[in-house]
Amino acid sequence: MRRFAAALALLLISQAAGAVEAGAAAPALDMPRLDQPAARLPLASLRGKVVYVDFWASWCVPCRLSMPALETLYREHRDQGFIVVGVNKDVSADDAKRFLGKVGVSFPLVSDLGDAAARGFDVKAMPSGYLVDRKGVVRKVHRGFTGETAAQLRGEIDALMKEPS
Amino acid sequence: MKRWLAALVAATLCGCTAVAPYQRGYLARDDMAFDPSPGTARALEKTYSAKEGASGGASVGGGGCGCN
Repeated sequence: MRRFAAALALLLISQAAGAVEAGAAAPALDMPRLDQPAARLPLASLRGKVVYVDFWASWCVPCRLSMPALETLYREHRDQGFIVVGVNKDVSADDAKRFLGKVGVSFPLVSDLGDAAARGFDVKAMPSGYLVDRKGVVRKVHRGFTGETAAQLRGEIDALMKEPS
Repeated sequence: MKRWLAALVAATLCGCTAVAPYQRGYLARDDMAFDPSPGTARALEKTYSAKEGASGGASVGGGGCGCN
């Protein structure tokens, strides 16, 4: 019985241990662009910028709120070196396109059909956002999205923009 | 017997898999819903309870007193 309990505890710990949290280095990922799969967007190429990696999908209800909010933040801060990378988790690209027809965004979008990016970050909720500083370190993790998240994120981006690269 | 039971439990557990939050696209499809059309179901239920003169018994609150 004790052995069984220990094995169960180990299993639970191993499942919780992988998640990327604040302070960890952002996983090195190279993902195909959603609109042009032949082109790729390596996260390493964005080093020196403040990056918000956002996992979204058309079926994710809070994403209807997060995507327009992220677009606003991107437009406000892009000239100072801020970028949003939207990682799409739809099974079908058509679903993503239908969503984007309603909620247009101008920041780069990538697809993650093999789940490499989601596994790399060990995404625990949808949407999940990872705010990465200019040195490639994850500084904040947002799981879920509300109006408060947007306000909080604005403050965090402003603070990170002031940090030297 | 115990070993057999343990093997059965292990075999059963092998069939279980956790669906990651980012893999719920299939589960979110309309045809995966327990009740794909809640509006129609509600209308049918209302008609049924009106015709039968009783409500309840179809996973709704109340129990046929006609007071809800």
